[in-house]
Amino acid sequence: MTTQNIVEEQKRQLHGIRIRDLLTTLTAATSAVAATGFLFSIAPLNGVLTFVLIAYVLFIVFFALITAIDDDREGVKDRVASVIIRSAAVIIFSALVFIVVFTISRGFEALPYLNFFTQDMSLAGPLDPLSSGGILHSILGSLIQIAIALAITIPLGLITAVFLNEIPGKYSRFVRTMVEAMTALPSIVAGLFIYATAILLLGVQKSGFAAALAISVMMLPIMIRASDVVLRIVPGTLKEASLGLGAGAWRTAWMVTLPTARSGLTTAIILATARGIGETSPVLLTSGFTASLNLNPTEGPMVSLPLAIFQFVKSPEPTMIARGFGTAAVLMFLVLILFMLARILGSDKNVFGNLVKNIRKLTKKKVA
Amino acid sequence: MATKTQQSLSKDALAMAADTQKPRQLKYVWDFQDRIFRGVMRSAGSSVLVIMGLVGLFLTLRASEALGSVGFSFFTTQAWEPDSGNFGIAAVIAGTVIIAIIAIVVAVPFSLGTALYISEYAPRRIKRLLITMVDLMAAIPSVVFGLWGFFFLQNEVTPVAKWLSQNFGWIPFLSVQGSDPSDPLTSNTVFTSSSLIAGIVVGLMITPIVTSVMREVFSQAPIGEREAALGLGSTRWGMVRNVVLSFGKGGIIGATMLGLGRALGETIAVYMIISPVFVVQPRILENGANSVSSLIALRYGEATQMGMSALMAAGLALFIMTLIVNFAASSIVARSRSGASS
Amino acid sequence: MRLSLKTRLVSALLTPAILFGFSASPAEAAEYVPVNGAGSSWSANAIDQWRRNVVQYGMRVNYASTGSSDGRNQFKAGTVDFASSEIPYGLKDGSVVDALPSRAFAYIPLVAGGTALMYNLKIGGKRFTNLKMSGENLTKVFTGVITSWDDPAIAAENPGVSLPKRKIVPVVRSDGSGSTAQFTSWMADEHTKIWDDYCKLAGRSTPCGLTSNYPVVSGKGYVSQPGSQGVSGYVSQNANEGTITYVEYSYALKTGFPVLKLLNKSDHYVLPTASNVAVALLEAKIDTRPGNSYLTQILTGVYSSKDPRSYPLSSYSYLIIPTAVSGSFTAAKGATLGDFAYYYLCEGQQQAEVLGYSPLPINLVKAGLEQVKKIPGVSAKNKDVAKCNNPTFSADGTNLLAKNAPMPPAADKKGYTGTDPGADPGTDPGTDPGTDPGTDPGTDPGTDPGTDPGTNPGTGGGGYVDNGGIVDNGIVGPGFCDNDTGICQAVSAEAINPPNPSGRAFAQAQIIFLIVLFIALLLAVPVLSVLRRRKQN
Repeated sequence: MTTQNIVEEQKRQLHGIRIRDLLTTLTAATSAVAATGFLFSIAPLNGVLTFVLIAYVLFIVFFALITAIDDDREGVKDRVASVIIRSAAVIIFSALVFIVVFTISRGFEALPYLNFFTQDMSLAGPLDPLSSGGILHSILGSLIQIAIALAITIPLGLITAVFLNEIPGKYSRFVRTMVEAMTALPSIVAGLFIYATAILLLGVQKSGFAAALAISVMMLPIMIRASDVVLRIVPGTLKEASLGLGAGAWRTAWMVTLPTARSGLTTAIILATARGIGETSPVLLTSGFTASLNLNPTEGPMVSLPLAIFQFVKSPEPTMIARGFGTAAVLMFLVLILFMLARILGSDKNVFGNLVKNIRKLTKKKVA
Repeated sequence: MATKTQQSLSKDALAMAADTQKPRQLKYVWDFQDRIFRGVMRSAGSSVLVIMGLVGLFLTLRASEALGSVGFSFFTTQAWEPDSGNFGIAAVIAGTVIIAIIAIVVAVPFSLGTALYISEYAPRRIKRLLITMVDLMAAIPSVVFGLWGFFFLQNEVTPVAKWLSQNFGWIPFLSVQGSDPSDPLTSNTVFTSSSLIAGIVVGLMITPIVTSVMREVFSQAPIGEREAALGLGSTRWGMVRNVVLSFGKGGIIGATMLGLGRALGETIAVYMIISPVFVVQPRILENGANSVSSLIALRYGEATQMGMSALMAAGLALFIMTLIVNFAASSIVARSRSGASS
Repeated sequence: MRLSLKTRLVSALLTPAILFGFSASPAEAAEYVPVNGAGSSWSANAIDQWRRNVVQYGMRVNYASTGSSDGRNQFKAGTVDFASSEIPYGLKDGSVVDALPSRAFAYIPLVAGGTALMYNLKIGGKRFTNLKMSGENLTKVFTGVITSWDDPAIAAENPGVSLPKRKIVPVVRSDGSGSTAQFTSWMADEHTKIWDDYCKLAGRSTPCGLTSNYPVVSGKGYVSQPGSQGVSGYVSQNANEGTITYVEYSYALKTGFPVLKLLNKSDHYVLPTASNVAVALLEAKIDTRPGNSYLTQILTGVYSSKDPRSYPLSSYSYLIIPTAVSGSFTAAKGATLGDFAYYYLCEGQQQAEVLGYSPLPINLVKAGLEQVKKIPGVSAKNKDVAKCNNPTFSADGTNLLAKNAPMPPAADKKGYTGTDPGADPGTDPGTDPGTDPGTDPGTDPGTDPGTDPGTNPGTGGGGYVDNGGIVDNGIVGPGFCDNDTGICQAVSAEAINPPNPSGRAFAQAQIIFLIVLFIALLLAVPVLSVLRRRKQN
């Protein structure tokens, strides 16, 4: 391994599609669909999924048969494996994209209404049309809850991750094991814990704060673990260099370790955030439910997006279900934005950083 | 962290250098500022420890009340009536495991295929895009999957389930009670809200994360060995099987276990789909399933002191199960060839 | 610089929150503090409507319809300010007595209504809406004794109807529910043997009595769903033919699905209409002993009411209120809760019938108004009951709604042998004009928009609708929306969501646009990074 690094090694290009492969695939697919259609007409079968399943099995069989005409055993195996692997990828990607598109299209009834984003549900009941009521309360609720959760987990999580890396020893190994164990904590149990302690025992109201606590308990191990992994990759030589220049532990961590790992840390934080913002079960137990906007996290129930979705789709009303799907689309958008934020902030030369720097320069000039 | 595939070689070399120099202990000089820093770090570590410890301790303490009152029968009783002292997790744990197994059976082949496709088959141009998509899909909230399962998949799976039960009903777990396949008026409802549907949804939900881990492992398969295999006249599949898969065996198992851990704890998608029953229900096509987490979601509100304790015990059992799975996963990964190098 | 990354992140998340917060905070009357409640999904539709109506007074009432058991329990734990429940505390569920809360509390009657048996059944491709059943057969259906719709026992009650040989799928509540408690208490009272046999089968101890958690025997094809929304939603799915569930009448009205005509003690098949419920509740014994069970109901009289109009599964639900300040419940919250209670006991009851409930009779309203005064911090009012415009009230104190309730049509008498599914032509002209003139002089001036502009901020035609007329037809009528309340009833699922033909193409274009946008966003990240890398190279 080590000696190979000298030579600039490149993977050989093994890709490309041969026209014969394409034709074989097409033929097999066409005959499979036709044969399935025939099967459907003679046997009592129905359902789209049944059709697809049968057609797929037939397709593989036909494909194998066709390739067997002019290929040896290994060749057939290779080609069939390649087709199966490709189709697995196609199926998974199309299924996942379909889930997203399905959600958006079902929610589309609700999304064009501006009031969907600017009102809460306090004046809209189950039978009101989509032109009244919206999900402002849950968007803001989600943002407030995740902001509180981040305010707890980012400092605690990052410092702990630094601790795990900078002060190695029995104690930190124990903490690490504990954190690793806690990543196994099911999110509903995190919610149950906060419900049983904070709400039932300590008398904290069901509120945005309680929900944020539950989200924090769920997010904290994820964040520590991810940051720990990232920090571990920071080359020891860099730290040594810093120490060699006379910097202390604090300066080394602050000026060397953290900046080096910045992009990874940002990704870790934001992926944990995406997880926290989309999880329903902890907030289900802790945040209470309200139809109206509540900006005070310490007092009264505060709804977040996943909980709103959950409550909307419980209703048998089509308008409510449309609202639920609309809310799900909004939630996905939020996650997507977070994801993009992770990419932008996480990249080494980030656009925002320069922007902020430039703005700061400008304002300084003005002040001066 | 999950996206460092096509990084430049220099970065790789850096990481490798870090690897080889890991044992070297760094000596710090702790001055006043650093002492504060160390104090802060230690206290952060300790507070995390305390929080985590509290969760575990509290769960155990509260659970012990319920466990103490029914003893070992907690693991063998199927009913869930905590207030009359007749409760146990046999049914819910079995339900959880059934759903998780179905999820794994759905997720692993597809994840394996997708991961292999991305790392071995995909054209370079779209590789990056696919990796991003997989990561993004892993972040789709579970409630969205639940929506999809409830409003779309359920209707699509019902006829397949019907067909399966008609033709393969002789296999015990594919049989369906209370449905006469020859009767055209047989009710669809018996095929809804089943373990199968919940399992498929959870399976799709864990597919991205499993794929992501597997792909990461596959991408680390040594290039030299790949070329050697190809050079010896192996087909691409032969190379994949003998080099990539055998290299990534540990990673595949680890990713599967990781997915299993996720599947065990999934709440909301399962809650939305299943119709809870409190017996061990191995007939996966039939209406009626259960899981620990959806039991908690369903019953936490109305739980009395004892009910809460029983739920805690169930939650603890689930936690321990997930814990075992996760630790097994990480030790398998660490011991395997692919794991050791990462 | 390092710090700025974090701050940037947090501020990125917070800024919109703050911005939106300032621009969108509602004009809230300062004197009302929000109150939080949870509980019964049976009464949730009524509470939800009232909650909306009082927003105009600046009151904010948060209500989570999580099931009666959950509500009672949360009230006990002090996590909500009020709860609603169909059954009081202290009842024996199985072998366990539901303990009283340690905080001081009282019951206020909330709203009356009938637990309806909503079903989804098609005959020859058309939805069947005129099913009749006796209590015994109903119990047998829900205990797995009768398993097919064409069972001779059911067929005998529905002469001339060829019921399909389809499996009956009872849909029950999976959460702890007051509806379940009411329904099982009726079965336990009226058909003890059948119910106990079933309970034994389900592994419960007998005698079973009432229970909030419906015992389910695996393999019988029962479906369990959470909440009234869950069960009614399940039954109303087109594909779920053959299902039947117990749920408050309003859920059936909302989803446009038919409900059973249940046989009462005088051999008439009746619907859970407002008037039939009102008649039945005349026989309810109300506990008037001061104490913890004050104002709770004893329903055995209702089950066996001899009035041909009475619906046996009638009951009213309670609002459970705190009578002392404790925990997070303050006097300021008491003021809100008190005014909300005043509102729903008086004005709110006018809408009960439209919503699918039955208004409370005068004795309960009077007693309820007295109970409200026990809430700490309440601005006690001496409401003039006569001005409540409650359709059940009359000058002489009798229940006007019950007095004027239409008799069930002859076709709904047990043993009626007419072949016509024919409740329609025969009865409608008879009943509808019959009731309206009767009630109108008394109640209409009250319900007309003129007198209560405050509560019903719409204009609109009539005060309320005679539900009997709609469902007696045997067909689910076309959509009907009341302008006063915005409530639609007897509508099929599609009608609530009126298709907008001109907007369709537009909406589709938008869908496509959105999908393209989404995909573009999806692609933007990698494309950006690729571009940047190119630049760097």
